[in-house]
Amino acid sequence: MIRSLSIIKKTWFSKNTFGLEFSLPGIKPRPGQFFQVRVNDSMDPFLNRPISIASYSGNRLLLIIKIIGKGTNILSKRREREQVTLFGPYGKGIVPKRQKSILLAGGIGVAPLHFLAQMHYKRKIPFTFLYGAKTYDEIILKASIKHMANRSIFVTEYGSGRRGTVVSAVKGMDLSDYAIVYACGPQAMLIALQQLHLPLPVYAFCEDFLGCGCGLCLGCAIMYNGTYKRICEDGPVFELERIHFEN
Amino acid sequence: MKIKLFGTHLKNRVLLASGVFGFGLKFKRVTNSVGAIFTKGITAQPRKGNPPPRIYETSSGMINWVGLENPGVEYFCTNIIPQLKKLKTRIFVNIAGFTMDEYEHSVERIGDTVDGFELNISCPNVKEGGIAFGQNAKMASMVVARARKKTRLPLIVKLTPNFCDPLVIAKACVEAGADGISLINTVYATAYDIKKRKPLITGGLSGPAIKPFALYCVNRVRNVGVPIIGMGGIVSGQDAYEFLLAGASAVAVGSVVLRDPYAPLRIIKELKKFIYQETKHAR
Repeated sequence: MIRSLSIIKKTWFSKNTFGLEFSLPGIKPRPGQFFQVRVNDSMDPFLNRPISIASYSGNRLLLIIKIIGKGTNILSKRREREQVTLFGPYGKGIVPKRQKSILLAGGIGVAPLHFLAQMHYKRKIPFTFLYGAKTYDEIILKASIKHMANRSIFVTEYGSGRRGTVVSAVKGMDLSDYAIVYACGPQAMLIALQQLHLPLPVYAFCEDFLGCGCGLCLGCAIMYNGTYKRICEDGPVFELERIHFEN
Repeated sequence: MKIKLFGTHLKNRVLLASGVFGFGLKFKRVTNSVGAIFTKGITAQPRKGNPPPRIYETSSGMINWVGLENPGVEYFCTNIIPQLKKLKTRIFVNIAGFTMDEYEHSVERIGDTVDGFELNISCPNVKEGGIAFGQNAKMASMVVARARKKTRLPLIVKLTPNFCDPLVIAKACVEAGADGISLINTVYATAYDIKKRKPLITGGLSGPAIKPFALYCVNRVRNVGVPIIGMGGIVSGQDAYEFLLAGASAVAVGSVVLRDPYAPLRIIKELKKFIYQETKHAR
């Protein structure tokens, strides 16, 4: 589905992370699903940027974007009331299970997990939100997370507050109370988490360079259960234990 | 916009290039509107494809290194062809291989269940076979001649622009019995990871960045004596029209569908306008 939507609100969450809000009635997105966002009408950058849904409530869609390179930098210059072309929602996403869970977010990985937290909150499923970033300034959506989560823990690698990473923090936690873990963050974090071999199922929200985002180009392969799956079409959420990270 | 190519009627001159639209079973509004689709490359045996990263964006284009991931010709014949038959468009199967026997086997196995074949002797993303046939006139000629013996259907040969003269290869293919030539396949390309100080990806470059080169190649082979399907970086009706001016009878769109799966619909409309203008002037 192709849509041209007007930005109804633009918010800067930190110095390199911003959110674009759109009015989009009539979709029923699942956590993990994403939109392919066209950067501009020129052919450079050529491909769209996959941006996961950070919030969908009352027909308002929030996409949170971190400036990583050229494309996201151009997107950061878009203003309110300007039109943006979106394709999607793409991806299978995940339907949250009615079990007490831990949401583990690393860096901008907080975006899709914030949407998952929203679903948990609406369905009254108890959860702990564990969120790590490099510095305290990069912790975003703090008030919203604190409001929704039964327990929220924020850790940073440098700077004030509790020191450490989400992986080191989850290692020290008593997990006997929980049934499931959802994790999203950089690949290094997911690999470290995989090596912990937690005694409960872990679902990882994966990322990669995407071509089409909708299963046409076979560009986003992930080795899962011994075969290549598409991150876009088959995921982007996979059981962490079964992923074999290759790059 | 209707045309007759290789004895087959196509509803228009805009086709879907191999590799970017899978088997054409999604976005059926698009597949049913184009003149024909070239399927994802099929090999004799299933292939799981290359490890990630398989795609990397570059200025006005992208590098891909998918590595011919496909379920193999047997699965294709039993499970995919019945679904393809329901589409309201012409189906050309892109055949890739590592030995001449494989090309021959796949063409024979598929038989006349489709509308034609595109012999892929130009994939840059596999270690052996494939492109080696496309860079050598003698070998290209042998692959075509052997496939020719196995089918009466239209046989198109997809050429590489990499390290060879497409005109020499095209002539050899036509002499060996090819009904058409499609070009260009992707251009050799590498992107570097400066932190690791080594290549991040080496594969085939596509997208608008290669269009001028593709136009040059099409123009170079224009008098080879069989219809040419031009491709390489087409994103608009004007681009498509330029390929027709360069000598192509039809065009195929590729990478642009990654940016917008509905782009072929727009390109068909835009190209119609250019062709209408042309016929108006001719009157």
